[in-house]
Amino acid sequence: MTEPLLRVVDLKTYYKTSAGLVRAVDGVSFEVYEDETFCVVGESGCGKSTLALSIIRLVPYPGEIVDGKIIYRGIDLLKLPESEMRKIRGKEIAMIFQNPMNSLNPVFTIGFQIAEAPIIHFNMDSKRAWRKAIELIAKVRMSDPDVRARNYPHELSGGMRQRTMIAMMISCGPKLLLADEPTTSVDVTVQAQLLKLLMDIKKERRMSIILITHNFGLVAEVCNRVAVMYAGKIVELGPVREIFRNPMHPYTRGLMKCLPIGTKRKGQLYTIPGQPPNLINPPPGCRFHPRCPYRTEKCRKEDPPLTEVEPSHYVACHLHR
Amino acid sequence: MLMDALARLSEWIQLILQNKYSRAGFFIILFIVILAIGAPIIAPKHYAEVDLNNRLRPPSLQHLFGTDELGRDVFSRVVYGARIALWVGILVVTIEAAIGVTLGMLAGYYGGKIDKIISAITDMVWAFPPLVLALGVVTLIGPGLVNVVTAVAIVSWPTFTRIVRAKVQSLVNREFVLAARAIGESDLSIMLRYILPNVVPTIIVIATLSIPSAILSTTALSFLGFGAQPPTPDWGAMVSDGMSQLTRAPWISSFPGIFIVITCLGFNLLGDGLRDILDPKLKM
Amino acid sequence: MMVKSLLVVEGLKKYFPVKRGFLRKPDWIRAVDGVTFQVFKGETLGIVGESGSGKTTLAKLILRLIDPTEGKIYFDGVDLVSIGKKELKKFRRRMGIVFQDPSASLNPRMSIEETLKRPLIVHGIKDSEEVRKMVLDILEKVGLGKEHLKKYPHQLSGGQQQRVAIARAIILNPDLVILDEPTSSLDVSIQAQILNLLIKLQRDFNLTYIFISHDLLTVRYISDRIAVMYLGKLVEIADADELFYNTKHPYTATLLSAAPIPNPEIRYVKRFSFIRGEPPSPINPPPGCRFHPRCPYATSKCKAEEPVLRDIGRNHYVACHRAEELDLSEYTRSLWRIITESRIS
Repeated sequence: MTEPLLRVVDLKTYYKTSAGLVRAVDGVSFEVYEDETFCVVGESGCGKSTLALSIIRLVPYPGEIVDGKIIYRGIDLLKLPESEMRKIRGKEIAMIFQNPMNSLNPVFTIGFQIAEAPIIHFNMDSKRAWRKAIELIAKVRMSDPDVRARNYPHELSGGMRQRTMIAMMISCGPKLLLADEPTTSVDVTVQAQLLKLLMDIKKERRMSIILITHNFGLVAEVCNRVAVMYAGKIVELGPVREIFRNPMHPYTRGLMKCLPIGTKRKGQLYTIPGQPPNLINPPPGCRFHPRCPYRTEKCRKEDPPLTEVEPSHYVACHLHR
Repeated sequence: MLMDALARLSEWIQLILQNKYSRAGFFIILFIVILAIGAPIIAPKHYAEVDLNNRLRPPSLQHLFGTDELGRDVFSRVVYGARIALWVGILVVTIEAAIGVTLGMLAGYYGGKIDKIISAITDMVWAFPPLVLALGVVTLIGPGLVNVVTAVAIVSWPTFTRIVRAKVQSLVNREFVLAARAIGESDLSIMLRYILPNVVPTIIVIATLSIPSAILSTTALSFLGFGAQPPTPDWGAMVSDGMSQLTRAPWISSFPGIFIVITCLGFNLLGDGLRDILDPKLKM
Repeated sequence: MMVKSLLVVEGLKKYFPVKRGFLRKPDWIRAVDGVTFQVFKGETLGIVGESGSGKTTLAKLILRLIDPTEGKIYFDGVDLVSIGKKELKKFRRRMGIVFQDPSASLNPRMSIEETLKRPLIVHGIKDSEEVRKMVLDILEKVGLGKEHLKKYPHQLSGGQQQRVAIARAIILNPDLVILDEPTSSLDVSIQAQILNLLIKLQRDFNLTYIFISHDLLTVRYISDRIAVMYLGKLVEIADADELFYNTKHPYTATLLSAAPIPNPEIRYVKRFSFIRGEPPSPINPPPGCRFHPRCPYATSKCKAEEPVLRDIGRNHYVACHRAEELDLSEYTRSLWRIITESRIS
């Protein structure tokens, strides 16, 4: 068994809002290995974005990581002072976001922005950094890189901006890339191109990717292992084919059943009854129990831990113990 | 229905009390309002009561802010002056808003030629220093508080028009407006039912922030002699009256001056806080 | 038996001017550039396309929210382009629209009750008893209740907001409802609920749907026929099954094979891997066939001559010079057959 690249142990990230304490990530543990694509899938409000932000320690106020360990290559990131963490951000762990226009500075050229990280992390002189930026622009498959480098973000299309983000983020050769819904705001053909680009880069650099998404299609396309999140917890975790072939947690099953596969002639779509949970006052016991067609008394009282039920396949459910 | 309105009002007051700026502003304005409403009770003497035996007396226990050249109690005049400052400020802003919002709405909603005409007029009026223009108007129509109010209002509406126009433009292509047109709503109905209610928070903020300028402009005109006529205890007129005695009896000008500053500060703070609560995008 | 055409769009064009400075002549964004098709009563026509394809502009044109540059829109035989405002208002009650973002499509300052009352009042139903009854009735039909009447949009969830938007669209019992990405901003589990609701309402109210979306899974699920748009033009239109199994236009094949499919077994199946280039700008479209710069099958004819949408049998229309020779089904058919079989029960 190889050492994992990243090991998250019982992570808890809460937001102190005026309405109450939002338990966005409430005891999450998993591992990511080298050269793998790990997906975190879930619906809005399940805590997946907060999870990614926690790993790179960019949780915005009023959020705070209150407990747990994030062990990257043997070092607990949560114990590092901010100055040390800054050395890791960009160089070891990088993150791309959903909307590239919000992540790019509109008043600087993209060449300048891509060159920034190498200058910071490797103390590169600006001429070399500029040349590196042009190389990276070519690497992310944009045409005329030396001309492109002088473009401003608003002169580029959505797909090109996202490529710029990717170039920025891989510029220092990180081993772990966090991608939070990176293709949600682009067209389907652009999405396909971006995914292929990411996968090629990953393969070339033996980089690991944690992909946050709500789209099961993406999960099936690119992931090696998948974690399903619900109400701040992981409810199921395992290799992608295993999860699709044999989803065990009632929530995972419910989600997959309600995908609009086939045509309406096959009958109504399955729907998960009830409402998404309140993260300030989550239901007691198993968080999914109010909506679960198989719930028992035990589910109301006890929160099931994530246990390995089949080889590498973990489920947090009393029915599968 | 009344219960509903009261409930919403108390919600609003809670919000205002939470933001530190609006809280400070709220209490300052509350203080001024209490002075204004309670003037007959709070002020020991009537503002026009002359007492030639006690002219130019410095502040004392009987005359908290001293007396002026006619022996009138400066404190009482300042307290009664609060009434004038408030109603003048509010009236000016109401007229400004009525003109400005209407024009801004029309310009923003229709665009095209109507927008071009309204914007041109707005820019023209905007280009003049409001005080100079108001001075010109007042010279034409004569002195007096009502005329000053009119003059200031009709030169200061461009602020409203510009901001309302921008806000309306940002709303007019939003999906809920498109949906309203798809239903078959008329232009007027859309402007009044869909767009205006969403512009109201902005209007409230601008109005609150405009009251200080309105007060300052009217007091300036009164200072110059165009506004309130004696014995009306307009703060600006009081400052002007006390100018000749500045070395001997500085309290005659100072106290009304301080109250002008406090009142303007209060509205500015309240307005800043309201802006944070209602429409943070207005921050410049 | 001929099924009736509810809507016939003919040669519809919408060009938006782009100013290029004070003295220069404006450029034109050809958002919709000569679109012709019909919608039959009772069917669901899906329209797919990416950004810049003109699908949203098309929806706004049909609803006459914007004026066309050219073309005709026949609704139940009447040309909506040539009638006056008063007459058009009467037609408005026969069409409804549901937008993508429900929180943006509801007036944040109007309660749900007021929002639903407006269509009734605008079209002359003034009796307050009747209005109340119709509002409560439609709320129930979309799965909401009395308790939601006095609420404001921000107090409802995304799914509930969309139900209100749907209720507003159908409260006057229209003939046609245009749905512009109605489920794209909703969670997966809520999408399913809304899709079920839409299908049920279609049956109960005898509605005709135009369903615009970029999500191929959803479009395939709900549509009877599907039209594919690219850069302002209709490039292919056919029955849903026919489109997926017997794809004829290279752009359609590109779309179908680019769509991520929730089945990990398909990763290793051969895909139409030449998704080349960037989506083009609708300002200066390329000459000839608009897709030719990105099409691996382009010939010199494609570069010079614009293909016309033509009938190739089986109710299948394509705008491609090489439609008869190309066999694209190898890329798409296997993918979509596997996915049909992979539904979990």
